[in-house]
Amino acid sequence: MSCLHTINRSPDSKLLESCLKVINADDAILFLEDGVYHCILLTNLPTIAETVKLYGLREDMLARATLSKTLDRVEAIDTARFVGLCCEHEKVVSWF
Amino acid sequence: MAENTNTTKPTKSRITFISRSAPYGSNRANLCLDMALACAVFEQDVNYVFLDDGIYQLLKGQDGAAIQNKTLGNALETLALYSIENVYADQQSLQERGIDAAELLPSIQLIENNVLSRLIKSADLVFNL
Repeated sequence: MSCLHTINRSPDSKLLESCLKVINADDAILFLEDGVYHCILLTNLPTIAETVKLYGLREDMLARATLSKTLDRVEAIDTARFVGLCCEHEKVVSWF
Repeated sequence: MAENTNTTKPTKSRITFISRSAPYGSNRANLCLDMALACAVFEQDVNYVFLDDGIYQLLKGQDGAAIQNKTLGNALETLALYSIENVYADQQSLQERGIDAAELLPSIQLIENNVLSRLIKSADLVFNL
């Protein structure tokens, strides 16, 4: 069963590295709060399987002026979709 | 009129602030700015440097209202009003984060690491938040 991983700190936190060590191919990653800074420069993108869906919380991107710089691979979502994702996945793993 | 007033002349210190935190995720960025503005009000000689994740505070077009917050970028634009004119951003931190100088708020001077070393060395006090 798939997991939704959430990351809420900037790339300097190295949380994504920790997450990628344990992620499964059918999991998804949601970047929120300061985590949305990952979405403008994902240096470890080549190591993330194509099947892993990447999401970013739109309102956090708007606040931080990063929405227009967000990579195509990342889908910007609203809070309603965030709730939807939590339900669609068997569990949520928070990296913080 | 009282003659016995306090005649101690206020001392002027050179203070370097190093702001290293992204905005909104924590209140560190706001606290650092508040300290600098308070120092400026008391006519201290303030240098303000954005380093590492602090660079993110400088992105143009922020909208704190999207997450029910004050927009930090707007507050930073008032630095000059408090006569803090020495505002610097670390060039290397920009490159590491894929941010172009053109995307930053105006009146920010880009500096190299060696300039930051000098700003720290020449300061009486350094705040690093």
